[in-house]
Amino acid sequence: MTQSSTKVTPSKSSPRRLGSLWDYVIHNFFQKRSAKFGAGILIGIFVFVVAGSLLTPYSPYAPSPSIDAPPSLAHPFGTDYQGHDLLSQVVWGAYPSLLVALASAFGAAMIGFFAGVFAGYFTKAEGVLSGSADAILTFPIIPLMILVGVLFIATDLVIALMLIAFLWAPVTRAVRAQVSALKRQSYVDAEKTSGLSDLSIVMRVIVPEVGAIAVAYFILNVIFSVSIATALEFLGIGNPAVVSLGSILYWGQQFGFTAGAWWWIIAPGLLISLFATGFALIGFSLEEVMNPRLTI
Amino acid sequence: MVVIFKEEINNGATRLDRFTLKETILESAAVRFCRMNYIQRRILIYVIVFVVIFNLDFFLPRMVPGNAAMVLRPAGSRPPAEEVAALEALFGLNKPLSVQYFLYLKNTFATWPPYLGVSNEFFPTTVWNLFVARVGWSLLLMLSSLLLALALSYVMAAISSLRRGGKSELGFLYSSIVFEASPIYWVALVLLWVFAVDLKVLPSFGNFSLTAGTSTQYVLSIFQHAVLPVLAMTLSIFGEDYLVLRASAQEVLKSDYVIAARTRGLKKRTIATAYILRNSLLPLISLVSFSLAGLVGRLVLVEAVFGYPGIGDLLVDAIVNRDFPVVEGTLLLITTMVIAGGIIGDLLLMRLDPRLRETKMGRIIQ
Repeated sequence: MTQSSTKVTPSKSSPRRLGSLWDYVIHNFFQKRSAKFGAGILIGIFVFVVAGSLLTPYSPYAPSPSIDAPPSLAHPFGTDYQGHDLLSQVVWGAYPSLLVALASAFGAAMIGFFAGVFAGYFTKAEGVLSGSADAILTFPIIPLMILVGVLFIATDLVIALMLIAFLWAPVTRAVRAQVSALKRQSYVDAEKTSGLSDLSIVMRVIVPEVGAIAVAYFILNVIFSVSIATALEFLGIGNPAVVSLGSILYWGQQFGFTAGAWWWIIAPGLLISLFATGFALIGFSLEEVMNPRLTI
Repeated sequence: MVVIFKEEINNGATRLDRFTLKETILESAAVRFCRMNYIQRRILIYVIVFVVIFNLDFFLPRMVPGNAAMVLRPAGSRPPAEEVAALEALFGLNKPLSVQYFLYLKNTFATWPPYLGVSNEFFPTTVWNLFVARVGWSLLLMLSSLLLALALSYVMAAISSLRRGGKSELGFLYSSIVFEASPIYWVALVLLWVFAVDLKVLPSFGNFSLTAGTSTQYVLSIFQHAVLPVLAMTLSIFGEDYLVLRASAQEVLKSDYVIAARTRGLKKRTIATAYILRNSLLPLISLVSFSLAGLVGRLVLVEAVFGYPGIGDLLVDAIVNRDFPVVEGTLLLITTMVIAGGIIGDLLLMRLDPRLRETKMGRIIQ
């Protein structure tokens, strides 16, 4: 026991240098069990949603005579109180919910990454950028998004933009810390002495070396954004008449419990959870690879 | 001489720029920001957050067409013009924007209790009274789930730092990842369905039972009504605490003094609790004070699912009924609560960690 707790993670490559972060991550990432598992879940969801939306014979908006029916061969996920087929509602509802989550996580990772690089490299930008990132982390995000979503017409675009406005902050914090450490490395000084301008040092030296953090935070952001975006849909903000994973749960909470219709809430929620868990597993193994001390 | 030398070290990072570039306002602001110590920087940030929310509360509703006078009527029916004018006069909406803003400032800061408007739904009741009547229930949920999650993650981290790589660590790890990733309102819905609708062992709605006769029954019914909301919130937050505790425990595990303690023959349990976990407390406190805003968001969703009459339920009800004064007032008061909690956390951190009293960019969690 004592031995196992003091053992140092064996690394096949030479001692890790900041510059080789990408190679190191790519080399070790796909050997992790949780990464394989997470990737499997995500591929499964992708196949399920695409194949389901192509194969299902029902429109998500078409009512049918069988109302509040439990899962059966004709309706594998059952039907809701108006006879909508829940399988087709789930597969078609997955598109808006998951795309909003992916798009806003991507936008936030990109903006936060470059803000973090500039905040870390240029001391002039540091105070303002990291100050506003810290401030955004203090905002009560969900109540504020609820206010904005109620006052303005909360389309998917509005929800995605609001998510981007909040989720860039943690990315900036992490990237800024890494860049301000990297800036003091002697080879960055050497590039400066060789006459490279600040902007080209940032683009050619700094950005490639810390790019892996942007990927890691894209993955972390997806977990938050899918949870918050569907939560807003669940609260009925936006248009609950448009089928999305959150709005299925919204109607399910309004009308499902009185009839005891458990099948109404299980499938959409499970899809959201699996989607987020897939990303969380990948993110976790990425973190393990980048910070080997966490490895079991 | 020594003073000047110290000053130069403080400016070390920016000295080069200072000689080559003209000092802009932005730069001097940045330098000043870097020179602040931890608590000064946090207080500046809290002030910014409050001012932003305060102004959003005023300007956002006035940017959309229509106003409270129109909203009072059911959707679709257009109220007569003189009625709108009378209501606008009542709410002060016919005054110029600057006067309205001044009134808003005066009502919020110069009156006690702060006058944040009157609810449309519960007409004569002020927003402040509605909020105060419900905030205790929300604090009950928040504090008990926070304490429960901390205790749970502490025990789990202690077990997994004793047995590294065991089956228990793997189980804790995966369960915390899964619960952290699952949306809290869905976990709450499933709990509600299993325990309240299907098994019927716990109540599904409200904060206490009206039929409770004696005070023991009353307390018991409060407990029964709080079980499911607290459980949902605990499941959603323990994962993050556990991951932070575990990560910092494993950093400490490699340090010299833990190896020295082990060679001195101290018991594993003593090492785990007195050496490893005590040193992991700082990142945990930091995490909790940073995650207060997220905790309030979770509270809103959980109260909406369980119909628990706290401030989150107030907010969601107000949205459904288009009760804008309540939405705005609740948002401002929730922000104030988050800021107050953050200040308490920061003071605690300052007390525990002397490094934060120094003037430099000190950050605990990255």
